[in-house]
Formats: sequence, C-alpha cells, structure tokens
Amino acid sequence: MKTLWLLTKKNLKMLVRSRGSALIVIFAPLLLILLLGLSYDTSTQYGLNIGVHATEQSPEVGSFVDLLKQEEFNVVSYEGDVQECVNEIKTGIVHACVSVPSSFSVQENVAKEVTFYVDPSKINLVWMIQESVGEKFDLRSQQIAQELTSNVLSRLASTNDGIGNVKGDVEGIKEKTGSASSATMSAKEELSSLDLRAPGSPESIVELKTSVTQSREKIDAALDAVESANITSSTKSTLRKAIKDAKLALGTGNGTEGSFGLAAQVSLLESDLFEARSKLFAASQKIESTTSALDNSASAISETNSALDAVSGVLTSLQEAIASEKVTEAGVIAAPLQTKIVRISEEGTYLNYLFPALLILVVMFSSLALGTTLVMIEKHSPAFFRNFFLPVKKVTFIASIYCTNLVVILVQIAVILGIAAFFLQESINAFPAVALILFVTASVFTFLGMIVGYLFTSEETATLASISLGSLSLFISGLLLPLEGMAPIFREIIQLNPFVIAEGLIREVFLFQASLGDVWIKLLILAGYAAGLFIVIWIMESILHKHLVHKFMRKHHKKHTEKVK
Amino acid sequence: MRFIEIKGVSKKFGKDVVLQDVNLTIEQGDIFGIIGKSGSGKTTLLNLISGFLDPSQGAVSYVSSVDQSEKDLHDHFKRIKRHIGFTPQHSAVYPKLTILENLYHFGSMYGLKKETLQRNAENLLHFTNLFQHKNKISEQLSGGMLKRLDIACSLMHKPKLLFLDEPTANLDPIMERDIINLIKAVNEQGITVVVASHHLESIERVSSKFAIIEKGVVQSYGDMDAVRKPYLQDTIRINVRAGKDNTKVVEIAKELDVSRILDSGHQITLFPTNTGSTITKLLQRLQDEGLSMDDIELRKLSLKDVFHRITEAQE
Repeated sequence: MKTLWLLTKKNLKMLVRSRGSALIVIFAPLLLILLLGLSYDTSTQYGLNIGVHATEQSPEVGSFVDLLKQEEFNVVSYEGDVQECVNEIKTGIVHACVSVPSSFSVQENVAKEVTFYVDPSKINLVWMIQESVGEKFDLRSQQIAQELTSNVLSRLASTNDGIGNVKGDVEGIKEKTGSASSATMSAKEELSSLDLRAPGSPESIVELKTSVTQSREKIDAALDAVESANITSSTKSTLRKAIKDAKLALGTGNGTEGSFGLAAQVSLLESDLFEARSKLFAASQKIESTTSALDNSASAISETNSALDAVSGVLTSLQEAIASEKVTEAGVIAAPLQTKIVRISEEGTYLNYLFPALLILVVMFSSLALGTTLVMIEKHSPAFFRNFFLPVKKVTFIASIYCTNLVVILVQIAVILGIAAFFLQESINAFPAVALILFVTASVFTFLGMIVGYLFTSEETATLASISLGSLSLFISGLLLPLEGMAPIFREIIQLNPFVIAEGLIREVFLFQASLGDVWIKLLILAGYAAGLFIVIWIMESILHKHLVHKFMRKHHKKHTEKVK
Repeated sequence: MRFIEIKGVSKKFGKDVVLQDVNLTIEQGDIFGIIGKSGSGKTTLLNLISGFLDPSQGAVSYVSSVDQSEKDLHDHFKRIKRHIGFTPQHSAVYPKLTILENLYHFGSMYGLKKETLQRNAENLLHFTNLFQHKNKISEQLSGGMLKRLDIACSLMHKPKLLFLDEPTANLDPIMERDIINLIKAVNEQGITVVVASHHLESIERVSSKFAIIEKGVVQSYGDMDAVRKPYLQDTIRINVRAGKDNTKVVEIAKELDVSRILDSGHQITLFPTNTGSTITKLLQRLQDEGLSMDDIELRKLSLKDVFHRITEAQE
C-alpha cells in the first residue's frame, strides 16, 4: 500500500512539474467548464435569426415581429420574394424563414396560412424553431380564435338581448291579439243574433198604400164619372158594378179589424215593415256596437302589426348581425392560423444531413492530430539539431510538414468521398467543390495542429491538447449543443470557428447545391485563416526556436552544474 | 592560417553567466579541443562558435581564406553554415531511416546533385566503415556505428569545418579509438575540427590545440606546450603506490626536493624540483626503511594533469 502511495505521489509530482501536462490535464477541463459556463450563462433562451417574410409590413406583422423580438429573436424582415429569405437560410444568415400573411385576421371561412421554411439538415434547430416560433403563432392563433369566438358570443349576447327586448312586445301582441279575438268573438255573437229577415221595402209599401188609396179615390171618381156620364143605365149599372167590385177588391181599412182587401194587406204589410224596421234598427244598433268592438279589434290588430313589425325589425337586425359574422366554420374559429413547414432542401436521408458535419469532423481531427504529431516527430527527432545547420529556410520545413499532412489528408478525403459517392450518388456533382473546401479546411486544421505541436514540448501533452482543441471546436460548433443557446458575444465569436465556417460551406455546397461562386467569401475567409495561421507558425517557429534553444541550453547548463555540485 | 576568431565572447542564460570573455583563435586545419568538466561551458562555447547560439557579448568571426577578412558569424550565418558540419553529443539522424537514406537526405538538403550524392555517400560509407550496413535502419545501429553515421552525415556536403560535441561519450574503448582515428582521418582531408570533450586522453591524442574551460572562463589555451607552460615546474611527476605503507612514504617524500605532494590515499604523486635526485633519494630511503612498493611510475605532465591542476586551483 505504501508503495502504491509512493508511486501515486511520484506520478502526481511529475504531472504537476510538467507544466504542459498540468496545464492540459488539470486546467483544460476547468477552462472548458469556465468557457462553457460563460458561453451558456445567458438568460436568453434563443438567439435565432428569424426571417419574417410578408408581402406587406402591416401593423399586425409588426406586432408579431415585436412578439418575436420580445423573445430575443433577431428578426430580419423581407418584403420581396420569399426565396430571398430562403437563400439566406442556406447561407446561414437566418436560421428559418416565416412567411406570414399581411393580416392575421380571418375574414372568410378560410384559415390564414403561415409557412415555415427550415433547413432539415439542422435537425435540432428545426425542432427548436418549430417549437419556439410555433408557440408564438399558437399564441397569436389563440388570440385570433378568442377574438372570433368573442365576436360570435357578443352576437349571441346581442341576439339574446334583442330577443329579451322583443319578448315583452310579443307578450303585448299576445294580449292585444287576445282582446282582438274576444272583441271579434263578441261581434260575431252580436251579429249572429241579428234577425235580418226583412219583409220588404217600407217605401214601396207606403207607395203601395198610397197607390191603393189613390186607386180607390180614382175608382170613386170613376163611379162619379159613370153616374154623370150620358150612358145607358145598364151600362151605367154594369160600370158601376165593375167599379164597385174593383173598389171592393182594393179593400179598406188600416189593417185593423174590419179592414179588408188590398188595403188591409198593405196595412198588414206596413205593420210588418214597421216591425222589420224596428228589427233592423235593433240590428243597426247591434252593428254599431259591433263596429266599435271591431274598431277596437282593428286597432288592436294594427298595434299587433306594429309590434310585429318591431319584432320583425329586431329579428332582421339580429339576422343581419349573425349574417355579418363571416367566420362560421368551427375549424377555422378553433385554428384561425395554420402553419405549414417547407423544407428548403430536398428530402434526404439523415446521412445527407450529417454528411457535412461528419466530413469536417474527420478532417478536423485528422488534420489536428496529424499536424501536431508531425511537428512533434520533427521536434523530437534527433535530427532536429542537425536541421538547424541545413541551408534550408524555416518556411520550407513548415511547408514540408504541411505538405506531408496534406498528402495524408488528401488520401483520406479521397477515401471518404469515394465511399460517400457510393451512398450519395445523387450529390456526386458537388464532390469537386466539397473536395476543395475540405482541402482548405484541412489546411486550417493542419496549421492549428502544427501550432499546438510547436507550443507543447511533450508529445503526449501536445496530442492531448490537439484532441482537446478539436473537442472544444466540436463542442462549440453547434453540432452537439445549439449555438443559439449561447450568450450573444460568444455566439458572435463562435461564428468565427473554422469548424462552423467549413461545415456551413459544405452544407451549402452539398445540400443546397450552391456553386463555389456563391460561397467564395466564406471560402476566402477559411483560406485567410490558413494563410494567417501559416504566418503565425512562421513567426512562432522563429521566436520559439530561439526560445527553445535557449531553454534547452539553460537546462543543459543547469543540469551539468547541479551534477558537478 | 586563422579560421575562426572568438573575441570577448560572453554568454548568459538569464542571470547565469555561462561563458565569460572568451578570446580564442582557431587555425585552419587544426583539431581544436575544448576541454572542461560537465557544466563548465564547453558545449555552450561549441554552440556559439557553430552559430547555434548567439553570444550575449563579443563576436565570433570566420576569416576568409581569400582575403583574410573577418566575417561576423551572426551576420553571415546563412553563408557560413553551408561550410559547417556539426555532430552533437547525441545522435542527430533520423532513426527510422536507413544509413544510406540518412546520408542521401542530409546531402540533398545541401542541394547536391544525384551523382554527387551517390559518390559522397559511397565514399563516406567506406570511410566510416559502414558500407556493409548501409541499408540498416539507424535505430538498430550500435553506439559506435551511430556516431560514425552522425559524422558521415555531417560530412556529406564536404564542410570546411566539423564540430564534434563529446564524440567519444558512452563508447567502449575500441569504439572510442575508432572514432579518434576517424577524426584524424577527417582532419587529414583538410577539414578543421573543433571537438568538445571531457575525455581528456582522447582529446590529447587527437587535438593539436586546446582550450581548457572552467566555470565559463578559458583557463588555458594553445598547443600542448603552451597549456603545460604555467606548470613547467610540475612537468614531471612520480606516482607511487605503496599500499599499506602509504603514510610512511608520504613522510619520506616530505624530506625530498618536491614542490608538491598529492596523496589520494592509494597513490602518492610527487612533483620533483629535480627529477633525477628525487628518484634516487626516494628509492634509497625506501630501501633504508625496508618499505616495499606496489608500483612506481615516472610521468610527464599530461593534459589530464594540467586539467586537474587547473580545476583544483579553481576549487
């Protein structure tokens, strides 16, 4: 046990005294945690750049944009063709595009459509955007649904009020109709009780009576004339008799006892007529009273009509109010905004989407490790000292390490692309451009690896450092953790990560079929990195070489001095 | 003819003064030995002369054989280093390459053409006795072979000057002898050799001039006679091994005409002022006292002795 402890103690001492190892082994994880802590120490949940496309930047679109901005989204507005926004997803300027209608309010029975344009190769981002932006739309959709429902409910309420109001009128109408009905019934009864069997016209009876009287008088006159006439007596007597018969036929009296003949009949008729007149008078009286009842009834009916008109008016306005509500489909009211997701690249397998990242991953780690290893081999080679006296420029040595690396990396790229060509035959046209990007990427990471190699003295530490560098680069590439969750400042810095740039380039070329002409700026940045790093190595090698020589000599001297002592 | 002029050269590593005011001249065709203990500054001096290090003070100049003009090493290093071969203490070849590949590689770095490369490599392989091993991987070679390969690599471009740092370190006596012979052979080809070592016997055998360094200061410099000169009175010494009678012999020696007596316990070294009478008297006294001796040796002052004298004086 003691031996174990002693050995452990010795190992720890060696670890701590080897500054490079200590730095990497002990402090690298702490540094990593610190960096991650600083990176993700943000209350901002998302840092997505959302492109909002609308044909017209209406206040409603503005309020939606404000809603997104409140959630710390960076909103880029597009008015023209939505394709402009889609192209900027491909170049990574925006993470997603949302094409929104200029107005969210639903007028007809058709839900408004909101289209999301997303890059399916950024799976994590797609879900995040769908969830987060979709949430905003759901909220807006709920608001609109609420407005629509509120409209319907307010119309129902006003209808209810209208019905409540006309209900009293209808009750009044009912009463009035009841009284009109009873008045009509009593009129009916009155009228049915009328005896309108009239015996004849009283005037004609008077005339008849007058004419009877006149006829008698004329008969009397005819008798007188007969008597005075110079006619034979027989004639006279015959005439007298005839006239008397006629007079007898006309009768006499006023209908009372003793009356007879036509006069009596006329008198009888007259009395009948009088009776009829009195009946008719009674009937007239009845009719008069009935007319009044009917007048009341008519007025009640008229009032009823007015009331009915009012009710009808209310009902019409209610009907109009209900009819004015255009959105009547339950589905539209429940979901007035419908979202649609459009993938901006062709549907492919996950290999397609992961391919850019995988390529860069392989190239990054290979280049880093190889760059470091080759420098360490050269540095630790016994021939390193002899190389100092060779008439060869330092830059040639650096370039030779780079070229060695490239040969290996190019072989690797050829193998990877060869295998990839088998699986991704539809994307084979993009391979030359991909190869060029990989070449530049490999150069950048080779130089980074070489820097690590020049900085560290122990091979193990350098290898560990290059792996750590690769891991850090991977960690902050957005491949494992979304960059959008990071603090804005770190996000800006991380956009400069060569891994991020290279992966973006491959994605654009491979997934979106962008030409090199489309991505030349990013490619130039990457090439600039390579050139910059090459110069850094050049300068560093010159400085470090002298420093290392001095360090080596000082150590050498100290060691010998201590030995002598 | 002057080849290298070292004037007032000092070197510091931080506050640590490693070399102080070194003034030396190395002649063309010399085998110049730099001698010192470990940490004395000899490797630093070698590195300064070769241009691997820049002096903190002073200058190292190379003298043109044409017009004897002095060219500052620092200023003309690019041109001068083409004429330098350097064999460091530890192997400086690519261990994964074969002997021939190493020779070709270093030769080609000097821009030699293919024919020249082949010719030089073949000559050097024969010269260093490595021809039959030319296809062996370097890391599989023995220490002596590796040293020879190192020297061969340093000679591929036919330099005018060869620096050797501890060429015989960690070698057995036979290999050491081979290397010494090789150095001599190299020098015979007209190459000036500067060799730093603490193997004094080897250096003495091969070098024509020496610089003895102690604590960063050149204590003695010149050919063997010049180095010995300060110790002329001690040129001859008598080493006596008297075994158990050592103490008695020391007492007798004190009675003799000696400038100094060194008693290391198992050997007594006497520095006589008159060699002949001292030996006679010593032998007489020993006989009188009936003392026996294991060994008695009469020696001329060697480089090692001079070196010891110097280091003792410094201590």
